[in-house]
Amino acid sequence: MGRIVLENVTKSFGDAQVIPPLNLTIEDGEFAVFVGPSGCGKSTLLRLIAGLEETTSGQILIDGEDATQVPPSKRGLAMVFQSYALYPHMTVRKNIAFPLRMAKMDQAEIDKKVEGAAKILNLADYLEQKPGQLSGGQRQRVAIGRAIVREPAAFLFDEPLSNLDAALRVGMRLEISELHNRLATTMIYVTHDQVEAMTMANKIVVLRAGHIEQVGSPLDLYRTPRNLFVAGFIGSPKMNFIEGAEAEKHGAKTIGIRPEHITVSADTGPWEGTVGVSEHLGSDTFFHIHNSGLAETITVRADGEVGFKHGDRVRLAPREDVIHRFDAEGLRIA
Amino acid sequence: MRRAAPGSRVMSDRKLPRLLQTPAVLLLLIWMLIPLGMTLYFSFIRYVLNSLRRPEWTTPSLSNWRGFGNYEFVLNNKDFLFAIQNSLLIVCSILFLTVILGVLIAVLINKAFPGRGIVRVLLISPFFVMPAVNAVLWINMILDPVLGLQGLAVNGINGMIASLQNAPLVGWFFSLWPQLEPISFRATQTSAYAVIIMVTWQWTPFAVLIFMTSLQSEDQQQKEAAVLDGAGLWSQFRFLTLPHLSRPIAIVVMIQAIFHLSLYAEIEIVSRGNGNKNLPYLIGEFANNNIGAASATGIFAVILANIVAIFLLRMIGKTLME
Repeated sequence: MGRIVLENVTKSFGDAQVIPPLNLTIEDGEFAVFVGPSGCGKSTLLRLIAGLEETTSGQILIDGEDATQVPPSKRGLAMVFQSYALYPHMTVRKNIAFPLRMAKMDQAEIDKKVEGAAKILNLADYLEQKPGQLSGGQRQRVAIGRAIVREPAAFLFDEPLSNLDAALRVGMRLEISELHNRLATTMIYVTHDQVEAMTMANKIVVLRAGHIEQVGSPLDLYRTPRNLFVAGFIGSPKMNFIEGAEAEKHGAKTIGIRPEHITVSADTGPWEGTVGVSEHLGSDTFFHIHNSGLAETITVRADGEVGFKHGDRVRLAPREDVIHRFDAEGLRIA
Repeated sequence: MRRAAPGSRVMSDRKLPRLLQTPAVLLLLIWMLIPLGMTLYFSFIRYVLNSLRRPEWTTPSLSNWRGFGNYEFVLNNKDFLFAIQNSLLIVCSILFLTVILGVLIAVLINKAFPGRGIVRVLLISPFFVMPAVNAVLWINMILDPVLGLQGLAVNGINGMIASLQNAPLVGWFFSLWPQLEPISFRATQTSAYAVIIMVTWQWTPFAVLIFMTSLQSEDQQQKEAAVLDGAGLWSQFRFLTLPHLSRPIAIVVMIQAIFHLSLYAEIEIVSRGNGNKNLPYLIGEFANNNIGAASATGIFAVILANIVAIFLLRMIGKTLME
């Protein structure tokens, strides 16, 4: 079980309030991702849940029980750190066994659990090695192994993939999602990478300056961002924002249109511009269009085969049904 | 004989660096080999500074060859075995005390508290006191049984107990207490401990300094992971901090062992060797007149230092290699 509820939780460091009163419920078995730009308080929020930071006020409930004053080791949560935080002088086996040893479990049972975790994570061949001899991905798995053996109510991940190279990151992303499907345990995952958030989460919590901007499933956030910040943060490349006369035509202060919702061609469409940089990914091409009179740059996604060159005049056709409208406060107009 | 052109080029490529290294290597060799050679030479001849009966012994010469006679003389000297034992006792005690105190103090001042900077500077300061000054201060101002802090403290406690013996109700309890005797640290039985105490005081800061820098590089996320894993303060210290410190401990032990095998000033000042000699001090005593015996002792000291070094490298080398 692992239902985590935050009620009016705040956190201040001295006079600076990092987390203003915040309410959030994470259901049992959910994969929740806290995402936001750096310094938005997402890691602090995770550390509050873990108990590594004291809450200034408010309550943290784990499975209905008030855990606000409970010491970190008694909360039944396991955490995977960005730097892996493995114990460098212990073998992989001893690293994974450490929490069990601290719980004074008997040796036979420890061995059984360590072997089990090693099997799940493909670490069986490395049990007698030290962390220094392992690659980044293997170290990450050891850190996850150390979390699994405790059979926690919830796993907390603090940017666990940011030290890995891009290819490995994609692999580990899949492994963690796989693990979540297999264990069906609550997981809370902190990242600044919206791609990780979109691909892994059941529930995304977008944070800015300690405030929750929006909570929802990845597609909810993609389809109906609640405000300009979420609209700009979720989706890659970024949504285009257009102000002025064009926005007023739609009855809004600002309108937003995603690059994938604009069709670029030589002759059809209401908007016009010059091709600047084109980024060819093979499957897709991203054109950065200038001189449209709408915004400084408009990013457009096209099929990989579309071949406009630098300086070509092109016409743009937005899909009218997916234009997002925002009012003067930056909030979505329904 | 000339080599083929490419070969000679390789040769000259190597020659230049060798040539440039030569002065340093030569200097080192001269620095080490000449004193060692002279010591060896003197240890095999009769050589004294002053002798009315045999004036020919006062100049070193091969005609005064004595073979292993000097070594025999030193081995039969009543102080020789005692000096070796005492050297080891002093070095081992100081190492043990400085490492334990060093770790404790370093862990204690690693936490942030007001005035930490000043405390750190004060803690390091004993290390900057000259050994002879250190010895004079300790033996006269602190350890002296009459005028030192020790004498004053013992007197004070005795006086307080004497006055309490007449007090109502608790007087009987204090009348059971014995009169405390101050310890004379210049005495035969205690002079080695005086040296151990004062050198420990002087060198603990060195250990603290090394351990403190090491503690600051300790990974905080590891500690947090351990907290979540249910490790208490003691377990964190035992399983994280202590292994983290194993390398600096090895370094402290190694450097201090080298330094303390050659202690001299403290021994001289505390008791002039009374009840407390080590090999360097014995060499000094012989060297008052008998250079041959002093040289033979010097060779024994080299052998002892090498045994200790091999022992330490075996024990500590493993930690350093990891």
